[in-house]
Amino acid sequence: MKTLRLFTTTILLLVFGAFANAQTADEILANYFENTGGIENWKSIEGMKMTGDAGFGPQSFPFVQIMMTDGRMRTEVDLQGQKFIPQAYDGEKMWGMNFQTMAAEEVDSETATNYKNNEANDFPDPFLNYKEKGYQVEYMGEETVEGVETYKLKLTKNKLISDGVEEDNFAVYYFDKENFVPILSENTMPVGPQKGMKVQTVYSDYQEAGDIFYPYSITTKFNGQAGQSIKIESIEINPSVEEVNFSMPTKE
Amino acid sequence: MSGIFFNSKSNQKMKRLIYLAIVCFIVPWNSFSQEISLKGKELFGDIKARHIGPALMSGRINDIEMHPTNTRVMYIGAAGGGVWKSSDGGATFTPIFDDYVQSIGVVKLDPKNPDEVIWVGTGETWTRNSVSIGNGLFKSTDGGSSWTEIPGFENSERIASIAINSNNTNEVYVGVLGALWSDSEDRGVYKTTDGGKNWKKVFYLNPSTGAGDVIMDPENPNVLYASMWQFRRTGWSFNSGGESSGLYKSTDGGATWNKIKNGLPEGKLGRIAVAMAPSDHQILYAVIETGEKDTNGLWKSEDGGNSWKHLNNDFGLTVRPFYFSRITIDPKNPDIIVKAGLSGSISRDGGKTFKGLGNMHSDIHDIAFHINNSDALFCATDGGLYRSWNGGTTMEIVENLPLSQFYQISVDNEEPYNVYGGLQDNGSWWGPSSAPGGVQARDWNSVGAGDGFRVLKHPTKNIIYSEMQGAENVWRYDVDRRRTKTVQPLEEAGKPKLRFNWNAPMAVSNHQPDRFYMGSQFVHRSDDMGDTWTIISPDLTTNDPAKQNQADSGGLSMDNSGAENHTTIFTIAESPLDENILWVGTDDGNVQVTTDGGKTWNNVTSNLVGVPANTWVYHIEASVHGKGTAYAVFDGHTSGDFNTYALKTTDYGKTWTNIISEDIKANAFARNIQEDYENENLLFLGTEFGLYVTVDGGKNWSKFTNNMPSVAVHFIDLQKQTNDLVMGTHGRGVIIIDDISPLRQLNQEVLNEDVHFFSTEPYTMVEQSGFSGSFGSETQFVGANKPTSARIIYYLKKRHTFGKMEMEIQDMDGNKITSLSPGKSKGINVVDWNFTSKAPKLAEAKTISFAGFTPVRVPAGKYKVVLTKGRNTYETTLELQYDDSSLATLEERKEQERMTREMFNMVEDLAYMVYELGENQKAAQNVMENHPKGKKVAQNFYDALETLRKDLVVTTGDNYVASAEPELRERMGELYANIASSYDRVSGAQKQNYQLISEEFTAAKKRYQEIVDKEGKKFHKFLEKNEMQKPKLQSKEDYLEKE
Repeated sequence: MKTLRLFTTTILLLVFGAFANAQTADEILANYFENTGGIENWKSIEGMKMTGDAGFGPQSFPFVQIMMTDGRMRTEVDLQGQKFIPQAYDGEKMWGMNFQTMAAEEVDSETATNYKNNEANDFPDPFLNYKEKGYQVEYMGEETVEGVETYKLKLTKNKLISDGVEEDNFAVYYFDKENFVPILSENTMPVGPQKGMKVQTVYSDYQEAGDIFYPYSITTKFNGQAGQSIKIESIEINPSVEEVNFSMPTKE
Repeated sequence: MSGIFFNSKSNQKMKRLIYLAIVCFIVPWNSFSQEISLKGKELFGDIKARHIGPALMSGRINDIEMHPTNTRVMYIGAAGGGVWKSSDGGATFTPIFDDYVQSIGVVKLDPKNPDEVIWVGTGETWTRNSVSIGNGLFKSTDGGSSWTEIPGFENSERIASIAINSNNTNEVYVGVLGALWSDSEDRGVYKTTDGGKNWKKVFYLNPSTGAGDVIMDPENPNVLYASMWQFRRTGWSFNSGGESSGLYKSTDGGATWNKIKNGLPEGKLGRIAVAMAPSDHQILYAVIETGEKDTNGLWKSEDGGNSWKHLNNDFGLTVRPFYFSRITIDPKNPDIIVKAGLSGSISRDGGKTFKGLGNMHSDIHDIAFHINNSDALFCATDGGLYRSWNGGTTMEIVENLPLSQFYQISVDNEEPYNVYGGLQDNGSWWGPSSAPGGVQARDWNSVGAGDGFRVLKHPTKNIIYSEMQGAENVWRYDVDRRRTKTVQPLEEAGKPKLRFNWNAPMAVSNHQPDRFYMGSQFVHRSDDMGDTWTIISPDLTTNDPAKQNQADSGGLSMDNSGAENHTTIFTIAESPLDENILWVGTDDGNVQVTTDGGKTWNNVTSNLVGVPANTWVYHIEASVHGKGTAYAVFDGHTSGDFNTYALKTTDYGKTWTNIISEDIKANAFARNIQEDYENENLLFLGTEFGLYVTVDGGKNWSKFTNNMPSVAVHFIDLQKQTNDLVMGTHGRGVIIIDDISPLRQLNQEVLNEDVHFFSTEPYTMVEQSGFSGSFGSETQFVGANKPTSARIIYYLKKRHTFGKMEMEIQDMDGNKITSLSPGKSKGINVVDWNFTSKAPKLAEAKTISFAGFTPVRVPAGKYKVVLTKGRNTYETTLELQYDDSSLATLEERKEQERMTREMFNMVEDLAYMVYELGENQKAAQNVMENHPKGKKVAQNFYDALETLRKDLVVTTGDNYVASAEPELRERMGELYANIASSYDRVSGAQKQNYQLISEEFTAAKKRYQEIVDKEGKKFHKFLEKNEMQKPKLQSKEDYLEKE
């Protein structure tokens, strides 16, 4: 059905596009969720297991990422047959492996707090129930990006702590006017040594994932230069997961 | 959209219906849209600019703004390079205003919401001859991520000050200095009480007098002071001062203003700076330009402006008031004040005496104290931003602000090519367009002092010509011998005094390598690299004596720097097709051409169309497309005319055509044009507000914005071998667009294709390896390099959003070499391929081996690019060739490729053997744990395999200092990686090592087989006997395929 909805919308837009000027942020989001499977299907998602390749320039690494609506998350990268876990969160503790020792280490409390207050709420989509998360959305007008006309929405999330100081945290998303899906988001690196650097994330290759459409290609650019390119091979919605998957292993 | 069909699992019939509906609907719609507009930013798609600086000398900064409470945050407003923010206390900065005009007057934070609300007044305010213009007032409410232009200030040109009521931050005053080159009513003090929605001009004197400093008493926001300045610049003079200038005060929130007279000088006044001590609001300092020794300089009031006393007229306080008119007072101590100036002056006794600030670049425009520690202060100069930690005695430069202000640039034909150029107050330089690790400060070489302008490389010799202002010196620099000689044309007996422009024209001949041209009011030609000169023209200017009184320039303070020299030749262009054709443009509006090497000159000025008389001829481009073809760019901004003018002639100037369309932003006056060498319709226009491109000879123009700020582009060159467009910007250094050749191929036919691959020349697989030593790059600007990869360039008619879109490189037989991540934008997409296939799969071990990250380089030859988009595939081929400068012969290269392949296979053979071994161990372990009868047999098998495994791969330790001794996998991997990544022939040592490792591997395989034959046989017999399954192994192919 979602395919039908998408095409119906497309036809309507072709016919009535000239009149479809005034848009509120919530209308754009409603169209987005409607066109990508319907809000109920989005809300029924509890977890997702993504398998794919993460490319950094000429290098690429197979990965498996599991994300849950309660914030739990685990990313596993295959490094020459070894399982390397750059980041994981078990609902309480955020951790990752040290590349030198391949042992798990807890991440610093600021990073963990920032994750808990933001990204932990963002799955499966930061705009889903955004008000309940304490987020705000603002319509910023129209702009041409990636060669197409888009609606521009600003998503203000919960504040971040950067080296002890609270900072604003927001990103601008560009929704294709033709089909209402986000094709680009932009923010500035909020913390760390690259703070202030422009980050662009490009979304494409929307395909079915269970009952929704999800971007299977996600490319991140830093100051306009391609940085990380995620290619998703498969998505499993609501996979069965063992709690142990997310917990930090004890040191050997 | 088509991808949806192919990926959906929905009802097929329904899909077909919908498909029909859409097709029926789209087809007629499409039939009306065959003509696709040849403009818009999607034309450029992924084609991006890169910045190479330099930042080592940085550029002019107009204003500094400190966050009122957060010591980590500060901003600078550059004269021509935009707004930059530091979040690390001034160690590094990032640009936050690139989409808007880059000439900045003032940056001001909202005192209540300094994290969110930023005001930017554009248009630099230290009004030298070469200043850029602003474009209004802007406000951000999200810390600089996005900006809104405030209506009503479009014609403000220069905004000098912003004062905000800290109790009610919706109340804002803006001091508009206004137009420099003309009368304007957009001047004075403006006020809003609703955060910028509505404005009222609360103080205005006349069309020639603007507002400089507007300051507010924070305790009593109805008390305001404004310094008003009567000033005017023309192309040939400057005047500071008049009866209207003065210091004014309002005590009723700007409703009424009174000139402060109590003790202050009267009559004609010039520029005035005023500041209030943050720690005592009754104390005011003013620096007043009077032109009289007794009254010039610093004044002080200790009673809120009621009475004043004259304190000081030192040089440091009175020098060039139009350029230095800022006083900053220590936030804690009203007796410590700093005055901007040639070197900057600091007083610690309330202004009685001053000493100079520490050594730094001269011309200090603004000073700001750290909010908590007055030992720390920042200075904005003509050469960037400086920090001091000891009260201004020792200064250090901020190293990542690439604000360099080029007047001109040129390029050579080296590989990588070099860029040459001259800078405002920062001499002349050359540096590489790419360098190991990126283009860094250390890569740039100085080749001139003072202000730098044109820098040209001799066409065949390692000699560089450069100059300083007014051709006071023209240098011929022998790079190899490190010898400099001054070679400018000098006055001759019986000839008039030479008039050189501040930015005097030079040109080298395309036809006679030693020929060198210069322009005064005459064209000078030298055929011996500047040793002897011949005048080959009459005075080609209007020679208007009214524009030759520079000795009287300056107004109240004389300012005869040479910057206003006028009635001079400004541009000389020799035809690339004929050495006898020379074009000349003058700063007073003449276009002259000779077709006989200067014997006769034809003044074609009267043939120009749509250009007001006497408009500065900024650039003439003699075309490669016809002897009579040329482009001329005219700049009227020094008479207040900001229109864009560019004309084309194809008949030696007899007739001209306007090539500017309405697509170009208002006020974006142009200084330069560059034609493409192949497609006559492809042109690049450098304007005050950035770069514009046309692909149809000027009918439509599109602004290029991909990593390209709206910065003034003063000069453009097109490097012939690389097709790189190189821009000299006046505020953001050198900006390069790599390989513009796809733009040559854009036409209606291409734009109507769903997917179009642009043809590319064969790519050379550049062989470079070395060290970059990136020390210091944490806080230094590092310019981006030109990609050395192959570029797959294609046009997409529609943005790809739904369904799979993938790209593969294949050999010509269709075997996959590698996958690439394709761009999906509507318009031009660029995908880089670094000539490699995949890295080998390594045996599992305890540690990571570098070999697993070392891919195989492909041999030279042709390759297929296959783009799959839904059900459709699109193909193109590209050709790779070896680097001519290779250290290896072709035979040696082939041997290296063969050995790389052999080692690659060996590494993967070992990986599969270790996999097989491991699967057998798992089976043995299963028996050991679950079948006591077979435990001994299984244990024997397991142990034998484990002993072998420990010799094959590292099984203990970590990736750092706890690493174990390397085993066969690690040594084999290292040899593979060394051979695969080398550009030289395989060395004797490597061959010997290869022999050793091959033998070891053969021995290992033998050992493994012996174990399988002995312990393995017994184990398998046990399995068979007990009807247990043998371990299931993936085929080698499947195992290696699995990523």
